[in-house]
Amino acid sequence: MNIYVCVKHVPDSAAKITIEGPNAINEKITFLINPYDEHAITEAARIKALKADTQVVAVCLGKAAAENSLRSAMAMGADRGILIETDKPADSILTARALAAAISADGEAWIIFTGKESIDSEGMQTQFRLAANLGWPVATNVVKLDVEEDAVTVECEREAGTIDVIRMATPGVLAAGKGLNTPNYPTFPDIVKSRKKPVEKISLAELDIEAPAAGMRIDSLEPALETRNPKRLSGSAVEIADRIVDILKNEAKVM
Amino acid sequence: MTKKFDAIIIGAGVIGAPIAYEMSKMGYKTLSVDKLPDAGEGSTAGSCAIVRAHYSTEDGVAFAYEGFKYWLDWENYLDHVEDEKGLAKYMNTGSLLIKSKGHKWQNVKKHYDAVGVEYKELTNEQILEMVPVLDLHEFWPVKRPEDPAFWEEPSAMLEGGLFCPEGGYVNDPALSAHNIMRAAEAKGATFQFNAEVVKIRAADGKVQGITLADGTEYDAPVVVNCAGPHSFKINQMAPGVWEGCNIKTKALRHEVMYCPSPEDYDYLNDGYHQSDGDIGCYVRPETGNLFLIGSEDPECDPQEWVDPDEFYAGKGGQGRDNQLTEAQWKAQCYRLGRRIPTLQVPNQPKGVVDLYDCSDDWIPVYDKSDLGGFYMAVGTSGNQYKNAPVVGRMMAELIDACEKGLDHDKEPFQFTMKYTGRKLDVGFFSRKREINYDSSFSVNG
Repeated sequence: MNIYVCVKHVPDSAAKITIEGPNAINEKITFLINPYDEHAITEAARIKALKADTQVVAVCLGKAAAENSLRSAMAMGADRGILIETDKPADSILTARALAAAISADGEAWIIFTGKESIDSEGMQTQFRLAANLGWPVATNVVKLDVEEDAVTVECEREAGTIDVIRMATPGVLAAGKGLNTPNYPTFPDIVKSRKKPVEKISLAELDIEAPAAGMRIDSLEPALETRNPKRLSGSAVEIADRIVDILKNEAKVM
Repeated sequence: MTKKFDAIIIGAGVIGAPIAYEMSKMGYKTLSVDKLPDAGEGSTAGSCAIVRAHYSTEDGVAFAYEGFKYWLDWENYLDHVEDEKGLAKYMNTGSLLIKSKGHKWQNVKKHYDAVGVEYKELTNEQILEMVPVLDLHEFWPVKRPEDPAFWEEPSAMLEGGLFCPEGGYVNDPALSAHNIMRAAEAKGATFQFNAEVVKIRAADGKVQGITLADGTEYDAPVVVNCAGPHSFKINQMAPGVWEGCNIKTKALRHEVMYCPSPEDYDYLNDGYHQSDGDIGCYVRPETGNLFLIGSEDPECDPQEWVDPDEFYAGKGGQGRDNQLTEAQWKAQCYRLGRRIPTLQVPNQPKGVVDLYDCSDDWIPVYDKSDLGGFYMAVGTSGNQYKNAPVVGRMMAELIDACEKGLDHDKEPFQFTMKYTGRKLDVGFFSRKREINYDSSFSVNG
């Protein structure tokens, strides 16, 4: 039985992102494995350690450079990788179809992990579309996971303070949230081993997937200007605390 | 009306602030100007603030060892001044120099003996008792991960190290400069921030003062360039100064990484500063039980000389701007990962990118200039933080002697170090010197 972990090669959130042309970014910056996918791969490696005869396969749709993120996934515990190569941007409809086709062609899946979202497009759709393509159940923002032979029990964080507990038949799709674990980063010996692990490369065209009837196209990108308007609060400690609560509730609307 | 001072110091970092402090103590009415909003906010803030004694020359070792005494007695040095931000703390971890082909450690040992530096010679077994997470195989020469040879298995072992118990690091370098500023103010010094110098005014071969970007003019018969990575720009503003330097300075981009300590090792509390020429890295603990990983500038690594204004504005593109690069992240972390096989290397680079004010031979220039009244404490090359309080005293005495008539170029000033009692020929740091080939030509100095 295989555990598949879908990973995305994304720009480093700390990178200085500049826009080139109408709808692309300058890609001469650091790209790395999507941070939510680090939780997914860490969980997959944890389960593999509990169950013999389980293989963890990392799968990625992207440009040739995305192999780096597959290598990261393999250094963190995946046994091998599959890179579905395409130079064109893919939306969540196409991505889900490509991942479903590649995984179905590869072997029998027990669990498919994704991150709950990618930090570049933040679509939060791929896991649902992937499950729909396969006709499987899906749970998102998974923060706790217990596995049995043919089912999993997951805790999913909905909003702050609200947890759904779901018992779900396998095979199924689980989208990892930040609370699931602390990513298990690779040591140098892990990195050495990952260099020798195989990556199968297939082109998106080879998968022969049905062209979606609809798709998303990015017409233009504009930098989001961050404006900061610092304010100094005065008064007693109690007055300042009251004012901070008021700002958080009524201006920032985060409480 | 143009305001007049006895001396103007350009730069309020860890070099400029102690010069202002020492000159104020001597009775000079000083003005320090800095283009940033507070003391120590420039390249000082990006310093790793390592305090170690191993340098490639005996004078270098003596100078650094003298500095130890200031850091070990910080409150006294500051004359017990109060700083509303608190005091920087000297973390006296001890400093371990790994014996390797990457350091001329035999020379260091000789210099330690000559200067009287307290140290112990350690075997590999003794090192492992102190730092159990190390793999003491020899990985020399330093390579990059892009080189297939980087991944080869080592066979030879290292040969121990030299441990200097008084070494360590300062926990907050920007705060240390701020502390010195407060101490200087208590002695009458004035500091002005958000003040960018655009002109050095001179007449008849003598400096007259400075002009700021907003048009403000200040006059003084003494101007001192402590502008860090901007030092070459300030020297170029002063008539005849740049041309009169045989040793020039320029700004070198430098990356420092943070990597979490292995889970079973409390590096923050149990670890040491380590210089490891075998892998071209130096490390020290950082808050959060992190390893701070600096590079000792091995020959295989690229050097990016940049314009400091462009750099700090985030311009120049990847590898030249103030963002970490994936390639250097991997180079430095993987090198340390060989030495510490349980070190976990995150996928996302984390660290600091800043500039060295680097001289042609990586030894600083502490000197007068060809313009009367204009002095410089420049080219600190990433390795003078620890010496800064001593530099402050030495520069103040040098300036005072020159202003009283000493021809330092002909008869170099002899500086007596307060703690070690040694005399230092300040001509060693002359702008007119030939390149010093005894230098390591790296941050090691």
